[in-house]
Amino acid sequence: MIETNLDYIAQQSVFRYINPGTKLFLAVGSLIICLISPSPVVPLISGIVLSLVLLIHGRLSPVLYGKVLLGPVIFVSLSIMVLLFMLGGGDVIWWFHPVPWIDLTITTGAVRESFLILCRVFGCSISLFFIALTTPLTDLFNGMKRIGLPIELIDMMMIVYRFIFIFYDQAVEIWQAQVMRLGYSRPGEAVRSFSMLCGMLFITSWNAGEDLVSAMDCRCYNGVFPVLDLAEPVKIQSLIPVILFLVGLIGMLILIKLG
Amino acid sequence: MNIILEARDIRYKYPGDREAIKGISFHIRRGEKVALVGPNGAGKSTLLQMFNGMIRPSSGIMLFDKEPILYDTKSLRQVRKRVGYVLQNSDRQIIAPTVYQDVAFGPANLGYDEKAIKNAVTLALRHVGLEGFERRPPHHLSGGEKKRVAIAGILAMDPDVLIFDEPTSDLDPLGSEDLMELLDELNQEGKTIIISTHDVELAYPWADRVILLLDGRILQEDVPDIAFKNPKNVRMAHLSVPVLLELSQELEKHGFVQPERKPRSVLDMLEIIKNLVNQSCSQTGTGIITVCNVDMETDVSIVKYIESQQYLSIGAMGTRAKQRAMQEKLTLDFTYGVIDKCILRALRGLDSLILTTNGMVDRVFDRVSAYCNESGNTITVIPINTRDQLIPSLIKEEN
Repeated sequence: MIETNLDYIAQQSVFRYINPGTKLFLAVGSLIICLISPSPVVPLISGIVLSLVLLIHGRLSPVLYGKVLLGPVIFVSLSIMVLLFMLGGGDVIWWFHPVPWIDLTITTGAVRESFLILCRVFGCSISLFFIALTTPLTDLFNGMKRIGLPIELIDMMMIVYRFIFIFYDQAVEIWQAQVMRLGYSRPGEAVRSFSMLCGMLFITSWNAGEDLVSAMDCRCYNGVFPVLDLAEPVKIQSLIPVILFLVGLIGMLILIKLG
Repeated sequence: MNIILEARDIRYKYPGDREAIKGISFHIRRGEKVALVGPNGAGKSTLLQMFNGMIRPSSGIMLFDKEPILYDTKSLRQVRKRVGYVLQNSDRQIIAPTVYQDVAFGPANLGYDEKAIKNAVTLALRHVGLEGFERRPPHHLSGGEKKRVAIAGILAMDPDVLIFDEPTSDLDPLGSEDLMELLDELNQEGKTIIISTHDVELAYPWADRVILLLDGRILQEDVPDIAFKNPKNVRMAHLSVPVLLELSQELEKHGFVQPERKPRSVLDMLEIIKNLVNQSCSQTGTGIITVCNVDMETDVSIVKYIESQQYLSIGAMGTRAKQRAMQEKLTLDFTYGVIDKCILRALRGLDSLILTTNGMVDRVFDRVSAYCNESGNTITVIPINTRDQLIPSLIKEEN
């Protein structure tokens, strides 16, 4: 469901009608700065500022935003727990020997490194989510064409993007029909139901593929897939805050390196 | 009327399956509204797909514009440009990630330049009332909107013939009414419209001609009141007799005098009943139908005009008229069968206002004129800007 929500949020976003290039510049810029930052402060500030922009200016629901972030948070939490025990350096803070051949130790160096990685992941994830939540994929296709990606690849991406939602809806319908008839009540039954769901989806996709060819033939398909070139121009009032933000982050980065 | 599509003894057999079309011959005239009616599996969709060369008959000839359809790539492109096909499932027809790209698909593949594509898309979207939807992805549209996008995609190629496979399936009643209204509007502009349906109530009042199909053969082909008249044929085709026709047949069985023409609408039925009770015109006077062409600037403000009238009902015909009503925040009383409903009000001595588009104005006058000639009643129809110089004569003062 979150995939459809992401697309829906992006379509409805207040920032939807800002030039996609400007938004990409902001997101990719902050992502690179977060990645190269030796201090957790820069990615932390970047993530917090972009989140506030999304929540306050973008009027994004905090609950929805929380749900979107939940996936990366769970993944990062598990990774950080492993890193805490794997990394070393500095003084030992905590140790545990459940059996003689297992040595679980947390050091100050491991905490420092883990926290830096946590902040980097936080900053980078939010940079990416900023794009995902403000720019629908349809706005990016044109940009992809401009930067010279093969047109065949873009055409395929557009068709996949179009049909992914149709198949998703069909999968949900089949799943609901199975649940209504207790299809997932027992583990064995669940495996059988899931395999039937996959089989049905395959047949549906096959039929949809044939219909797609018919629909394209009906409209005289000759190898041309039009691209929507209605992107908003770059506007100074959106570009200046982006530049100021990135310059601020770079400034912080330099200060940290110098100090 | 000249013939635009013709089938000569066509047959079709699916690979390894039974024969779907078993020797069918018929023709369709330019500007006609034809309904292919039959139960599921009768061969309606197969037949429709032969009209634009999607399926090649196993034997027999399909002709378009008096020329046999050829199945080489170049000839098929020509035919498909002129015969547009709207699939039953809009989700399967819409192939691009945005409305603009989907509507532009046909023109782009026909080799139009960028400016011509934009013009074609703008016109097609305006036609179906989806201006401003250019950047919307199809999965964020309602069923009715998707159907309109699918139609716009075909309209952008400017075909002469439009084919609709089960056009109202998956639509709610209001959506169906809107769609049928759009088909009328397109027909009024000269397009030949062919639909397949098993909804007899839809086909009966709408079609100029009905082709009843059963098991790959034509069971009957005639004007709707004749085509649906024979209960045996209708039952054989797993259909039912339209309610209005059934009612008139029952009245006939009970010995009441029937007019030559069977009722196609509530208005026709009312006229029959009025004749039966011998009260051809009980009211002292009839109401007035005012017509407002939304494509033309008028000196009279619609809202002010409505405010100045008491007991006025408002109907809108055509997409742009409905959009205008929305802009003016008007509550519409009628959105389908508008002219007949306004005539019914006029017969009760009540006034109505019809908002309509350029191409449909004449239709209002013609329909009321035809009704007045048949019934002997007198109903005044006037354009909104001459409302103040009202002359209670017959109709069509401006023409």
